[in-house]
Amino acid sequence: MSARLPLMLAVALVLCALALVNAQYQARQLFIDLERAHSSARQLEIEWAQLQLDQSTLGKHARIEASAMRDLNMVSLTAARTQYLTAGAK
Amino acid sequence: MTRAPSRVAGTRGIPFSASPVLQVQLPAWRSRIVLFLLFAAFATLIGRALFLQGMSTDFLQKQGASRYARTLELPATRGKIVDRNGHVLASSVPVKAIWAIPDDVLQAAPEKLRRLAALLDMSERDLRKKLDSDRSFVYLKRQVEHETADRIIKLGIEGIQTRKEYKRFYPEGEVMAHVVGFTNVEDAGQDGMELAAQKTLAGVTGSRRVIKDRLGHIVEDIEAIREPHDGRDLALSIDSKIQYIAFSHLKEAVEKYKAKAGGVVVLDVKTGEVLALANLPTYNPNNRAALTGAQLRNRVLTDTFEPGSTLKPFTVALGLETQRVTPSTTFQTAPGRMTIGTATIGDSHAHGLLTVAQIIQKSSNIGTAKIALEMPPREMWELFTNIGFGQQPKVGFPGAVAGRVRPYKSWRPIEQATMSYGHGISVSLLQLARAYMIFARDGEMIPVTFHKSTDAPITQRIISAKTAREMRGMLETVVGPEGTASKAQVPGYRVGGKTGTAYKIVGGKYVRQYVGSFVGFAPASDPRIIIAVMIDEPASGQSYYGGTVAAPVFAAVAANALRALNVAPDTSVTNIIMPANPVQESM
Repeated sequence: MSARLPLMLAVALVLCALALVNAQYQARQLFIDLERAHSSARQLEIEWAQLQLDQSTLGKHARIEASAMRDLNMVSLTAARTQYLTAGAK
Repeated sequence: MTRAPSRVAGTRGIPFSASPVLQVQLPAWRSRIVLFLLFAAFATLIGRALFLQGMSTDFLQKQGASRYARTLELPATRGKIVDRNGHVLASSVPVKAIWAIPDDVLQAAPEKLRRLAALLDMSERDLRKKLDSDRSFVYLKRQVEHETADRIIKLGIEGIQTRKEYKRFYPEGEVMAHVVGFTNVEDAGQDGMELAAQKTLAGVTGSRRVIKDRLGHIVEDIEAIREPHDGRDLALSIDSKIQYIAFSHLKEAVEKYKAKAGGVVVLDVKTGEVLALANLPTYNPNNRAALTGAQLRNRVLTDTFEPGSTLKPFTVALGLETQRVTPSTTFQTAPGRMTIGTATIGDSHAHGLLTVAQIIQKSSNIGTAKIALEMPPREMWELFTNIGFGQQPKVGFPGAVAGRVRPYKSWRPIEQATMSYGHGISVSLLQLARAYMIFARDGEMIPVTFHKSTDAPITQRIISAKTAREMRGMLETVVGPEGTASKAQVPGYRVGGKTGTAYKIVGGKYVRQYVGSFVGFAPASDPRIIIAVMIDEPASGQSYYGGTVAAPVFAAVAANALRALNVAPDTSVTNIIMPANPVQESM
């Protein structure tokens, strides 16, 4: 009995050490994944800002008015050609 | 040094000490010296260890850390500026700055340098001039877009490096330039709201300390991360649709009358928000290479002018409020001239006997002066001060000016008379527009703001609701066929307002150059917006009257803005009568 105890402790020690190595490895892997996710989040944010900017640039009132007049032959609204629908009126 | 013969070598029984070799006697001091030297060596080692561990440990730890630990800067993005509907007006996009170590770059093949110059959009000579420097760090070009930067890196020239930075883009360009302002190359606000809100827009950069492996991958954080804080987005009160409407109609008018400059501001009567503010000449904030001071000036806020007749309603309102006159009180304005002290003032046409309402409608200087002279200067000064003249408007906008109202104690009668119709006093267009709040809001004054707001504004009563309503009625007649601003009529809506035409002062003297203006509100039954238009030095020769140059801009902006705001019409659409010869106001 007394002879086996050191042996068992040695085995336990080795197992613990291996588990520690494994845990450290796992932690690093997860950390790398986290880093990657962070950087892709940043990238997406930048892309989103860029897209918002594009939306504003393409949705500029000056541009819409110009293409409506040139390409679609639309004209400005005048009150004479407007029908107002008022709630409650006949 | 003798030993006891305690040990026995082998089994033969010959004692060790019996060996003849050992019989040699060495002097005792030699072994002592050896012992001492050994001891000294150990002491030195211990001393050194103590020194390293105790004294210089910080330095050594640092040296160790610098071999595996890195501090990364975490950049913060500058906040966006959006309009009241979330439409982006200014946004930062990451770009690259290209910098070089000149000595290394000059080693590169000439062919590569030529291609680098082409990618940087500069001549090879300019590039070489930049590289011909003693410094070890030279910016070649800043704010280079990512694609170009990648191609430059691909050239593989030794000594070319990039640095991340931000570039600000302004999708609305010149239409919004004066409100939004711009930033410099370091992404710091320089003008407009970019400058006014610099503190909240700018982010706080963070940092983190990490362990990096041989390949440059981050292995671990070794300290708590200082998180970067992105700048906060700023929502302006501006409605980009109304802004565009205001800008395009102002531009049309300025071009038509070949004016030197122009400005228009649209205020929301209910909340005090600035819905639109446009200036001409303007500039493109995305490309500021050829920027002049005239383009940069936000005239609506930073330029003051003598408003002229647009100030008459305030004098008359004070007369009504203090019950010195009623709308039907009559004044004799014939023969169209009036002498006060040594000076003479006049109307452009002799109108004869006019009621107070007609004085406003026809814009009679003499009538207004006669009302003003019945009042003590102090009361007029108090009204002007209460409606914000001579006070810097608290709008949080850089460069907003106070205008000038002289202290009432120094007013001479002639000055009081001219001030009553807007001369000898200077205001900015924004102050003028805001002052009309007392008519549009039934006698209340509210602060104006460039920030989108949802709270009810703090009100301050200046005149009674009854006086305000009476004035609104009179101002509506100005826009009628008998008034000075028949061109300000808007189909479908009742509107009211007042024209102004004033001489400009150059070098302290009045010159034959004019500022035509119009301030009005719509719809008159329940005002929703106030629009102020100013056309500086209309030079076409046709006309310079506010009723001709500024009133049509008001009408066009009001019609489109009310439609954009979904305001129901308050009258039929076919009620417009345009007189052949509109009444011209006095100056």
